[in-house]
Amino acid sequence: MSVRASATLPSPAVSRRQIAIAGIILGAIAWVITIPPIHVRSLVPSIILAVIAVCAGAWSAAGGERKLGIEAIVLAVLAVAGAEASAHSALGTLESVFTWSALVAATLRYMTPLLFAALGGVISESSGVTNIGLEGMMLMGAFWGIYGADLLHSWVWGVIVAMISGAVLAAVHAFFSIHLRADQIVSGFGIIFLALGITGYFLEYHYGPNGTPLNISMIPNVKLPLIQHVGFFGIAIGDANLMTWIGLALVPALTFFLFHTRGGLRLRSVGEKPRAADTLGLPVLRIRYAAVIASGVLAALGGAYLSVGFVGSFSNDMTNGRGFIALAAMIFGKWKPWGALWATLLFGFGSAMADRVSSVNPTLGTLFEALPYVVTLIAVAGLVGRSRPPAADGIPYVRE
Amino acid sequence: MADSAPPVLELKGVTKKFGSVVANDRVGFDLQRGEVHALLGENGAGKSTLMSVLYGLYSPDEGEILVDGEPVQIGSPSAAIKLGIGMVHQHFMLIDVMTVAENIVLGQEPVRRGGVLDLKAARARVRELSERYGLAVDPDARIEDITVGAQQRVEILKALYRDARILVLDEPTAVLTAQEARGLTEVLNRLKADGTAIVFISHKLSEVLEVADRITVLRRGKRVETVARQGATERSLARLVVGRDVMLAVEKTPGKPEHALLEVRDLCVDDDRGLEQVTSLSLTVRGGEIVALAGVDGNGQQELVEAIAGLRSPESGSVTVDGRDIAGRGVRSATDAGVAHIAQDRQQRGLVLPFTLTENLALREYRAPQFSARGWLRLGHMKERAQKLLREYDVRGGGPEAYAAALSGGNQQKVCVAREIASDPKLLIAHQPTRGLDVGAIEFVHSRLIAERDRGRAVLLVSLEYEEVRALADRILVIYEGAIAGEFPPDASEEELGIAMTGGHARQAEEVNG
Amino acid sequence: MSTLDEELQAEAEESGAAAARSPASLTAFRRGLSGVTIPILTAILAFIGGGLIVLATGHNPLTTYSSIFDGTGLNWLFPWVSGSERATAAGNLQQTLIQATPLLMVGLAVAFAFRAGMFNIGGQGQYTLGGIAAVWVGSSFRGMEPVLHVLFAIVAAAAAGGAWAGIAGVLKAVTGANEVITTIMLNWVAIWFGVYCFQLGGPLHSSAHDMTTTPVSNTVVNGAKLPVFWGSAALQGLDVGIFIAIGFAFVFAILIKRTRLGYEARAVGFNPDAAETAGMSAGRTWIRVMLICGAFAGIAASLDILGWKFDLFTNDVQTSQIGAYGIAVALLGRNTASGTTVAALLFGALLTGTSNRNINLSIDPTLVQYLTFMIEGLIVLLVSTDVITLRLIKGGRQLGLAVRRRPAAAAAPGPDQGGEK
Repeated sequence: MSVRASATLPSPAVSRRQIAIAGIILGAIAWVITIPPIHVRSLVPSIILAVIAVCAGAWSAAGGERKLGIEAIVLAVLAVAGAEASAHSALGTLESVFTWSALVAATLRYMTPLLFAALGGVISESSGVTNIGLEGMMLMGAFWGIYGADLLHSWVWGVIVAMISGAVLAAVHAFFSIHLRADQIVSGFGIIFLALGITGYFLEYHYGPNGTPLNISMIPNVKLPLIQHVGFFGIAIGDANLMTWIGLALVPALTFFLFHTRGGLRLRSVGEKPRAADTLGLPVLRIRYAAVIASGVLAALGGAYLSVGFVGSFSNDMTNGRGFIALAAMIFGKWKPWGALWATLLFGFGSAMADRVSSVNPTLGTLFEALPYVVTLIAVAGLVGRSRPPAADGIPYVRE
Repeated sequence: MADSAPPVLELKGVTKKFGSVVANDRVGFDLQRGEVHALLGENGAGKSTLMSVLYGLYSPDEGEILVDGEPVQIGSPSAAIKLGIGMVHQHFMLIDVMTVAENIVLGQEPVRRGGVLDLKAARARVRELSERYGLAVDPDARIEDITVGAQQRVEILKALYRDARILVLDEPTAVLTAQEARGLTEVLNRLKADGTAIVFISHKLSEVLEVADRITVLRRGKRVETVARQGATERSLARLVVGRDVMLAVEKTPGKPEHALLEVRDLCVDDDRGLEQVTSLSLTVRGGEIVALAGVDGNGQQELVEAIAGLRSPESGSVTVDGRDIAGRGVRSATDAGVAHIAQDRQQRGLVLPFTLTENLALREYRAPQFSARGWLRLGHMKERAQKLLREYDVRGGGPEAYAAALSGGNQQKVCVAREIASDPKLLIAHQPTRGLDVGAIEFVHSRLIAERDRGRAVLLVSLEYEEVRALADRILVIYEGAIAGEFPPDASEEELGIAMTGGHARQAEEVNG
Repeated sequence: MSTLDEELQAEAEESGAAAARSPASLTAFRRGLSGVTIPILTAILAFIGGGLIVLATGHNPLTTYSSIFDGTGLNWLFPWVSGSERATAAGNLQQTLIQATPLLMVGLAVAFAFRAGMFNIGGQGQYTLGGIAAVWVGSSFRGMEPVLHVLFAIVAAAAAGGAWAGIAGVLKAVTGANEVITTIMLNWVAIWFGVYCFQLGGPLHSSAHDMTTTPVSNTVVNGAKLPVFWGSAALQGLDVGIFIAIGFAFVFAILIKRTRLGYEARAVGFNPDAAETAGMSAGRTWIRVMLICGAFAGIAASLDILGWKFDLFTNDVQTSQIGAYGIAVALLGRNTASGTTVAALLFGALLTGTSNRNINLSIDPTLVQYLTFMIEGLIVLLVSTDVITLRLIKGGRQLGLAVRRRPAAAAAPGPDQGGEK
């Protein structure tokens, strides 16, 4: 560390940075104006906007804001492609795809499981344990949630059993990563395989080839009495699942916990510099155990939402990579709860869009399915250096 | 306080072993209320281990610890904190992304109902403490944004916040500027007056004589003697520390400088965060001379060395090696121009620990036609050369197929030195080449550097050790805040150098030259 | 050891902690260990763990495992197995080797990245791209010289897989994006791209008349098929792909040990700072390594396509688990060529042995399939930390020592490094 570390920072390229962001926004607008409710039926305005965005991006990229600038350019190109597609689609088709109220509702549905798992990831990684096994923990929650709801005839019990199952699997990951100082990424993979095996095995063992029963007690939707029938809002949020609301409520709650409570301060200290926490007498390993297990519980809740809250049954590997998406959302969201929310909303929106597009044009819909991953790829590449993981993330703590 | 009162702290016969190595061998130590008791010894003498035992980080194999005359078991840092022991570690135990107040209260946070942090109370308490002891800090600043000196004040406040009566400072001045070090001495005096007992760990004789009331010298894990400051001199202490009269000066004839091999002109280099660390620096090293770059750590040495070695692109200025400009052209072009670089941190930068010695010894020159052709390695040649070098440099602990990780620090350093010298460089950069080595290894490295000089190479030695600089250099350049603060002959006094190294007037330096 | 140096010790601890993160350092540590004992012991422990679950759910693990063993065809190696039983065994063994072929190639793709300090989770995507390229080349260019056609398809697959992996390499080198995340994302993009290609109306959808309602590619032409050398081609006998894969295991070993790229890759993997100090470019090395990894995975797909699959359904693209298995194979094989080969054979056997048609009716075949996942999970978990397995070996050795020469062992000072040599 430098003696003169406190010397005034040289002024960063603020203006270039702002121009790059403006470029990104312009790029987005270039596409947005071609879809309902605005739906400009000409490509010209979009192209003009996109060209401006490209120039802004190129200028800021040349001036040192490379990542943001390039992002602006990429986005502008994508926007023109999108505008092209909208301009060539029939108005009716466009309107059936961009039924905003239904899109919002679908976005929330797709977001919910991701949000729970991503918040779980935030907790675990804040304490310094990489949890790539979120996928497995979700899967456990999905299966054992159905099993509990079926066996005990109540979705409440289903959710509780799901949480326990997630906690147990997370405890295995915790034991390997904290006590045995395993490579946490490898251990996380082991956890996923284990969960695939266990859920598949017990699905077959308990339910055989017929699958889970049909009359499962399911997590109810919350019918908002006032706005349930109010047009846009009624469709968008008037009838969302209880878990969606819980997940959304968890975002401020977790933020408050992490940054304004004693427990949160200690949790973060262990994730940043466990040795410092240890010299102050904090039980580093115990805090990490608690955090990993909590993350397992949250991921399992996400899984339980999928099975007990949404589909009403369990099928093999039904999480289908959502744990990884949640992981990406957590990174995308800079290891913060609010960030995770925005990122999962983006992914949710992508999936919702793909759904709508598929219903009109299956071929195009398939490509749309890939869009959120492409966006993540660009975002992850662009965000590096700007976001900082907890300093001790993924490093086992050894005292002597 | 009456003389009959038991010492605040007493260690009796403390022994701590790591495997077969005895770090502390029946060490005794006592500390009175309101005194500064220095623990003096070379690197590796067992000072930090002893204090880690005291702080509950290591459990002693034998021996007894008494606090206020009562035997105690200190099984963990929290037990130590409860007994009123506070510790300022050499590597700060601070969390960079958190604020000063958060760091200070961590573990004993003031809370409102439901575990909600009461940051207002925390801030108030921090202000109160910082005013009482003259430890100026801003409770809301983030650790990563404040100076090293301020970080140390935060560490002291952490201990005081926990009502420490016994304060252990581990090499507290190593990272400080002279001014900050003076500030620290003032703080210590205030704490003393307040009745706090202080253990001051150091390997620097002069500062120990300045701050301590009593001095205990450790050597190779054993207590040699405890002396009062009155009557102790640097010379008497040095004899105790080393165990014989200090004879660090290596046999060496005056250098015979030839033409300039390294020319650095108006070099400006930024660090990773974009702060300028080397400011329009110029220096020249000729063949056949050792130029020592002396200075307090963190004054731009790292960035300068990296810029010359090709690891970092300078913002402006030129680096010329024997007529070739290599500034900002990468390591390979520096190597091709004849630069060899004994890196400061052998484990982090000098060696690939899981590689064999053969593989490590080839790192600098593996692309040369002798060792690889058309993408294929010539393993036979690599091994042959490794065998020769290991013999020549008397590396012990394994043959060419042994892993570097299996060697002791001294032997690892010999491997680094052997590799760099074997590349037949024009310029050899030695960045703290003897850090953490024992006396025998230090002598070996020193004699090799002189031998290289005598073969007409240019040697740039970057060192924080005053003795090393004086023993090796033909010319001494002092670096301060990224610029050369003066040039001195090898027989310059410690005081002269000290003034230059801490930003004293360049006028004095000129007088010396004149 | 000379004097104890606290500063160095603290440093060693720090660098040890940092090293604990990087898979490559794990590799180094483990290569120092006995190369055979640990993987075998790991596998045995995992099988015991799986057996316990079988037992807990009311089945006999011994009969289950012996049935799996017969299903692998490994009983063909026993001279006393004869007649129709022997014919069945031969067929099963051919399937085991067919399964092992891509596992080995994808395992190498993961292992090579590991050696350069990267975790290549993108084997799945690279395999998918390779498959698309192989099936396109293999089903086009009718009438091409057979040997050339096969080579062309393999090279195309290698290029496609390499390019796909190269994206992750470039992103890591240029922006520092973590390859774990980017390769996962690339996997999904590849899968959806594959589905897009072969779905009804997709650009590579079959042009055959009877396939208009099936989402499948065109079929590889006869000239581009790999020759079968054991068993009948009609019954999916063993093609020469396994030899190609084993050949690449040798290529891998030579690449790692004897070439400049391998040397640079390992240096960067173990210690990027030291590599940089020596004048290597970590970024360029990462890109090159990823290109090669992707090529390995792409070739894996081409061997499947040209050897026995001959076409690709969208369903194949979506349900393939080869990337995940490849990771397990590389980890169990400790990222060495020989270890990966053995691990690929083990997993190939496990997959074949637990496939539906090979299980007798003493246990529900679907259950046994999931048993494979559990065993795989346990293996990966055990591999993630060698502590458990090490303790067992150490315990065993100490026991042995104690029996043989107790006084000497008791007198020997210093830390016991029995298990680490």
